[in-house]
Amino acid sequence: MRGRGGISRRGVLGMAAGLAALPLTRAAASSNSATPEDVIGRWYKLVLQLVRHTATYSPPVASRAFAYLGIAAYEALAPSGGMRTLAGQVNGLTAVPARAAGQDYSDAVLLHAVMTASTQNFFGNTGPSGQGAMAAMAQKLGARAADGVAADVVARSTELGQAIAAHIFAWSQGDGGAVVENMGFPLEYTLTEGAAHWVPTSLVRQQQMPLLPNWGNNRPFAMADGGVCGLEPPLEYSEDPASEFYAQAMEVYTTSKTLTDEQKLIARFWSDDPMLSPTPPGHWISIAMQILARDHADAPRCAEVLALLGIAVADGFIGCWHEKFRHDLLRPVTYIRRVIDKTWNPLLITPPFPEYPSGHSTQSGAAAAVLTHLFGEGFAFDDATHENEGLPVRSFPDFWAAAEEAAVSRLYGGIHFRAANERGLAQGRCIGEQAIALKTRG
Amino acid sequence: MRVLAVLLMLCGPALAEEPLLPAFAEETTTAGIDHRYMGDWQYMVGGGVAVFDCDADGFEDVFLAGGAGPSQLYRNVSEQGQALRFEPVDGMALDSVTGAYPLDADNDGLMDLAVLRVGENRLLRGLGACRFQDASAEWGFDGGDAWSTAFAATWEKGADWPTIAIGNYIDRAQEDFPWGSCTDNWLHRAEGRRFAAPLPLTPSFCALSMLFTDWNRYGRPSLRVSNDREYYEGGQEQLWHLEAGTPPRLYTESEGWARLRIWGMGIASQDVTGDGFPDYFLTSMADNKLQTLAAQPATPDAKPAFADVAFARGVTAHRPYTGGETRPSTAWHAQFDDVNNDGRADLFVAKGNVDAMPDFASDDPNNLLLQRADGTFLEAGDVAGVASMKSARGAALADFNRDGLLDLIVVNRREPVQIWRNVTTGAGHAVALWLRQGGSNRDAIGAFVEVKTDAGVQSREITIGGGHAGGQLGWRHFGLGAAATAEVRVIWPDGLAGEWQSVAADGFYLMDRDKPPQAVAPN
Repeated sequence: MRGRGGISRRGVLGMAAGLAALPLTRAAASSNSATPEDVIGRWYKLVLQLVRHTATYSPPVASRAFAYLGIAAYEALAPSGGMRTLAGQVNGLTAVPARAAGQDYSDAVLLHAVMTASTQNFFGNTGPSGQGAMAAMAQKLGARAADGVAADVVARSTELGQAIAAHIFAWSQGDGGAVVENMGFPLEYTLTEGAAHWVPTSLVRQQQMPLLPNWGNNRPFAMADGGVCGLEPPLEYSEDPASEFYAQAMEVYTTSKTLTDEQKLIARFWSDDPMLSPTPPGHWISIAMQILARDHADAPRCAEVLALLGIAVADGFIGCWHEKFRHDLLRPVTYIRRVIDKTWNPLLITPPFPEYPSGHSTQSGAAAAVLTHLFGEGFAFDDATHENEGLPVRSFPDFWAAAEEAAVSRLYGGIHFRAANERGLAQGRCIGEQAIALKTRG
Repeated sequence: MRVLAVLLMLCGPALAEEPLLPAFAEETTTAGIDHRYMGDWQYMVGGGVAVFDCDADGFEDVFLAGGAGPSQLYRNVSEQGQALRFEPVDGMALDSVTGAYPLDADNDGLMDLAVLRVGENRLLRGLGACRFQDASAEWGFDGGDAWSTAFAATWEKGADWPTIAIGNYIDRAQEDFPWGSCTDNWLHRAEGRRFAAPLPLTPSFCALSMLFTDWNRYGRPSLRVSNDREYYEGGQEQLWHLEAGTPPRLYTESEGWARLRIWGMGIASQDVTGDGFPDYFLTSMADNKLQTLAAQPATPDAKPAFADVAFARGVTAHRPYTGGETRPSTAWHAQFDDVNNDGRADLFVAKGNVDAMPDFASDDPNNLLLQRADGTFLEAGDVAGVASMKSARGAALADFNRDGLLDLIVVNRREPVQIWRNVTTGAGHAVALWLRQGGSNRDAIGAFVEVKTDAGVQSREITIGGGHAGGQLGWRHFGLGAAATAEVRVIWPDGLAGEWQSVAADGFYLMDRDKPPQAVAPN
C-alpha cells in the first residue's frame, strides 16, 4: 500500500469544524486559550504514551481504556454536540450526570475535567514520569481551558466533568477487566493437553503462562457477550505433510525465508509491541487522531469517532480472546520447530498466548468496519504512527486496506497462520457491526 | 589479533550438593556510614557507589552518590577480619551526584574519580590520603550539562590517556513529556595527555549502563550500552565498534547484532559459562537477561550474537522470592563475584521500585544467586540475610575487612545505605589480585586474569564501567574452593600473556607486570 494515493476527504467530515461548541460566557480569552479540540487532542496524545509506558497495558487492557475514555469524552459532549447518549445502548451504562438546565458550561473545561479524572482513573498505575506528565497536563492545559471563562462556569463545568468521569469509572469496575495483576499473567494455569494446543514460546519466565486467559469473559460494550462473533474451529491439527495444517505452517516457514524488505517493513510497522508502542488498538486510535487533526474535526466529532472506535477495538479483543482460549491453538514457532525445522525463528517475537484467531486482525477488522462507517468507503489516509520510531509513513486507499495489511503482517512476522489472520478479520468485521449499530446521531 | 588460548572450565565431577550458603551480618548501624540517596524525579535512577583505595592502605574505601543530597566519601578503617568500620572524609560533599567510578586517568599511581551528575560531570584527581582536586578543566574534560547515568573507560591502543564514555539519560527540561527525549551519550577520547572535545554517540537511547568489553577476545574492546526502553523511540541495546583513529560505529544486524529492547539498567560481566569469553547479565524490570555468545564453541571470529540463558540457568530474578509480593521486580546494579569461595561466580542483584510504580513490587528483595556446579543458580538472598526490602540502586561486593570474604554495600533511594559483613563459616579459600603496570593504564583495564586450580580455570576481564552508576577498581577476588594454591596469569591489555605463577591461598597479591606476585599484608 505504500506510496498510494493522496488524501481524500469524505462528506461526513464536512460538518466538522463548523459545529464546534464554543465555550459560553467567554470574555477576554487570550490566544493561549485551549479549545475543546485542543483538550481532546492533547489528552489523547498523552494517553497513547501512557499506554506504551504503563506495564499493565497489554493490547486487551489498552483497548478497554480506549473504550472508556472515548465514552467519557463522548458523554461529556453529547448534549452540546447534538449526539445521542450511549446510556442504555452499551452494556450496563446508565445515564451520566447531566448539565443543569439554564446554566452555562464550558465544553473545554468540562472535557478537560473528564479527561483529567478519567486518565488518572485508568492510568493511576503508571510510573513517575507518567504521573508527572498527567499532573502537568492537568495543570497547564486546565489553565488554558479556563482562560477567559467565568469562574462560576469553570467551577460548574469542572464539577460536572468530574462527576461524569466518576460515573464512567464506577461503571467500568464491574466489567471483569478492572484488576490486572502481574501484568496480566496468571500465577497458575493448566495447559491443555494435546499436540494441537498452546505451549509457552518465550524464554521470559513471566510469560510461561498465557496473557489474560479470562479476558474473553469480560463484559463487552456493544455486543451481548464475547461469543457473539464466534469462529469455526481452526484447521484440524496434523503433522501429515499432505494436510492443510502442514501446508499453512509451511507457508509461514517459506514466507519467512523469502521475506522482501517491504514485507519486513510491513511486519514491523504493524508489530505494535506492548511497552514499545501504543499497541495495536493504540495504532488505530493514532490513525483516527491523525485524520481528525488533519481534517480539523470538532470536538463532538472527535469524541464520537474515538468512542465508537474504542468500543470496536475493546469488543474486538474480548471476542478474540474468547475464541483464543476456546480453541487454544499452538503458535507457528512451536509447530515449525517440532515438525519442520527445529532451528527456526520468526521475524517478530511470538506473543505469549494462543494463536487462533489473530488479535491484531480481529481488532483491525473491527476498527476498519467502524471507521468505514464513520468516514465512508474509499477514505484514503496516511499513517505516521511510527514515524518517531524511524518507520516511514504508510499510505492506504481505505481502512480495509490497512486492516488487511495489519492481518497479513502477522504472517510475514511468523507469528500466525493464514487462517488466523483471515478469520480474525472476519470476526472483527462482525464485531465492528455491533458497534456500528449504536446510535450516535439523529 | 591477539593469540588466544581458550581455556575451558574443567569442572570436576558434578556435585550433587547445593552450594554452601553464605551468611551476612548487617552492620549498617555500627559501621559508621550514615547516608541516603535523595531526590525526586531526576534521581529516580542513579545512586551508585564507587569502591577503591584512596589512601593506599590496602583497604577499599567508598564514595557514595547523594542525588539531591550531598555525596560522601568514607574511609575504610576496618581491621582485618573485624567488624566493618568507616569514617567520613571531609571535602567530598558534591551536589547532584548520580554515580561515580574510580580510575587512574593521569597514570600517576593515585586513583582518580569520575563523578556523574545531573549537570556538569567532574573528573577529580586523586592526591593521595583520600584528597581530591577537580582536574576537569586541566584535563580538557567537558563535563556537559546532562543527566548523566552511565560510565565506562578504556585505554585505546597506543593511547597515554583513557577514553571515557558517558551515558546520558532524559532531557531533564522535558519533565512534562519526557518520552523520546533521550540526550546524546558522549565519547571523550584522548588527545595527547588530555581529552579531546567529546564525540556524540548518536543515536543515543537513554543509557543506564555502559561497558568497554572485549566480548570476542579479539584484543580490542567494544562499547556495550544498555538502554532504558521507557524513554527511547526506535532504540535498542547497542554495541559500538571502537577502533583507534576512526569514529565509533554501531554493530549492525548484518554483522549479527540482534535487536533487544529492555529496560536496561545495569550490566554485570563475568565468564559464567567457562568458555573463556565474558558473559553479560543485563538488569531490567521483570525478567533479566544473561547473555552468552550464541556460537559455540566461541572464537574471536564470533558474530556478536548472544543467546539468553537466564531462564535455563535460573537467573531471571523476575519476581520477589520472599515477602509475599507477586508483582514483578525492578533490578538495578548487578555484580558477579564468589561470595562463598567455592570457585564459582555468584550473582548479586540490587532491587527496588522506581518510585511507587504499582505494577511492580514495592517489597522487592535483593537477590543473591549462588552458582551451582552445573551452572544453574540458587537464590539465597533471604537465607544469607541480604534480602533487604529497601529501594536499592547501586551496590558493591568487596572485601572491606580483608578476611577473604566479600562483604556487601547497597545504596538505597531515600533510605539508609546498608552494609553487611560476610560471616560465612566453612567458606573455601580465596585470593585477591591487583594488577599493575607501568606507563599508562596502570590498572591494566582490558586485561584478562586467569586463575587455575584443580577445579578448572576462572577467567575475568578487568573493566571499569557497567553496573548501575558505580564501579570498583582494585582488588579482584577469586574463590578457590578447597585449593591451597592457585596458578595465576595475566593477559595484559596489549595482548601479551604473562607466565603462570603460583600463589598461596588466602593472600592479597600485587600482580606487577614482569614481576612475580607480591603478597601484600594490610597496612
